[in-house]
Amino acid sequence: MSMIEFKDVEKYYGDFHALHDINLEVEAGETVVLLGPSGSGKSTLIRTINGLESIEGGQLIVNNQDLANPKTDLNRLRKDVGMVFQHFNLYDNKTILENIMIAPRLVLKRDEAENKETAMGLLERVGLTDQANKYPSQLSGGQKQRVAIARSLAMKPKALLFDEPTSALDPEMVNGVLKIMREIAQDSSMTMLVVTHEMGFAKQVADRVIFMADGKILEDAPTAKFFEHPEEERARQFLSQIVH
Amino acid sequence: MQDFLQAYSWVNMRFLLNGLWITIVVSVVSIAFSFVIGSILGTIRYMKIKYVSEIVGFIIDLIRNLPLLLIIFFTYFALPKVGIHFNVMISTIVAMTIFESAMLAEIVRSGIKAVPTGQLEGARANGLSFYQALWYILLPQAYKKMIPPIVSQFVSLIKDTSLATIIMLPEVTFRAQTIYAQKPAQIIPMFLMLAILYFILNFTISRVGTYIDRRMAS
Repeated sequence: MSMIEFKDVEKYYGDFHALHDINLEVEAGETVVLLGPSGSGKSTLIRTINGLESIEGGQLIVNNQDLANPKTDLNRLRKDVGMVFQHFNLYDNKTILENIMIAPRLVLKRDEAENKETAMGLLERVGLTDQANKYPSQLSGGQKQRVAIARSLAMKPKALLFDEPTSALDPEMVNGVLKIMREIAQDSSMTMLVVTHEMGFAKQVADRVIFMADGKILEDAPTAKFFEHPEEERARQFLSQIVH
Repeated sequence: MQDFLQAYSWVNMRFLLNGLWITIVVSVVSIAFSFVIGSILGTIRYMKIKYVSEIVGFIIDLIRNLPLLLIIFFTYFALPKVGIHFNVMISTIVAMTIFESAMLAEIVRSGIKAVPTGQLEGARANGLSFYQALWYILLPQAYKKMIPPIVSQFVSLIKDTSLATIIMLPEVTFRAQTIYAQKPAQIIPMFLMLAILYFILNFTISRVGTYIDRRMAS
């Protein structure tokens, strides 16, 4: 069963054609990495999946909900589809523990004791138990991103969207975040879509690679095939520039 | 010299301090109402609800560009012509509340706008509704940043209550005038006393504001 399905999706910012005839299907449990030069529409594409960006044409079905329909309840959709941002977007006015607990409390009405237990469990999983009562401003970038991942996981989502999760991090912080993402990808029920420039991560974890340029999907191939025999010239150029 | 000291007689001082009390009561009541109304209007304007936000925005801009004195005249002299009668004190409070709500609405709106967009995006992506994001994430951060402008707005409000002298509200400035109207030699000592009283009141409030701001920042 497909978790995410784009059919002829179009997206404009004014006159700018941001997404061009997007057709893409992601099965439940799949891990898909989106690659492409900056400005190619990867972030825009991933942001349409949870309705942070609207679409102007075509059809987009996520978790059986139709995003082209303005009546679709986005809050309901977002319970099942989490997102991790490049700049973390943790709640600056809440402690780390509260950052993780607030959405399950308000949205899922999870019991307070259970909520705290889940949150502490997740903090343990991302190795930040001792930071529970600090505020985001007291954490490093890598720590913030790990909290952001824990915050998404606390909702027990079916799918997670990662929008350049390591691009704003200092190099020594990247591995800690990738390690957690790798662990999440091993969970066979979790659907993952990752926009990244981390080729090592893509090779290791992705089931499939989507290559985008100029708002179009140019190539959609199994990971090994994409890295060994990319069909598109643009993809070959991209790989030769980025893989050292 | 004797006139100077006589100006600060016990009777005069008690008369002035009772006036200061009226200044404080009018200010506190106006501050309380305008804080609530201003917050609501500012939030509505921020939310960009079709038509509603535009109408609210127009009213805010209109009031902000009128002199407070005109609004005081309006509530005291014009409203009775359409059958609404307020006493001097209520008239002043209503006028101050109308004016200060508009001023505060703008502070609140720009305060919410100053919260980084990632905060709202993070909250929405996390499953919170717009109103939950507003209440739990945006407003707390916005108010924290708004403490200094809100406090200075309240200090202006207190100073502006002296305008109600013109409709004969017996607040502190009016009472000082009453005293020196009988003894013109006491004009200077009365002005001096007024300056001291306003300064103590407003300086204390600014200091408390700075203290709260520091506490919140840490």
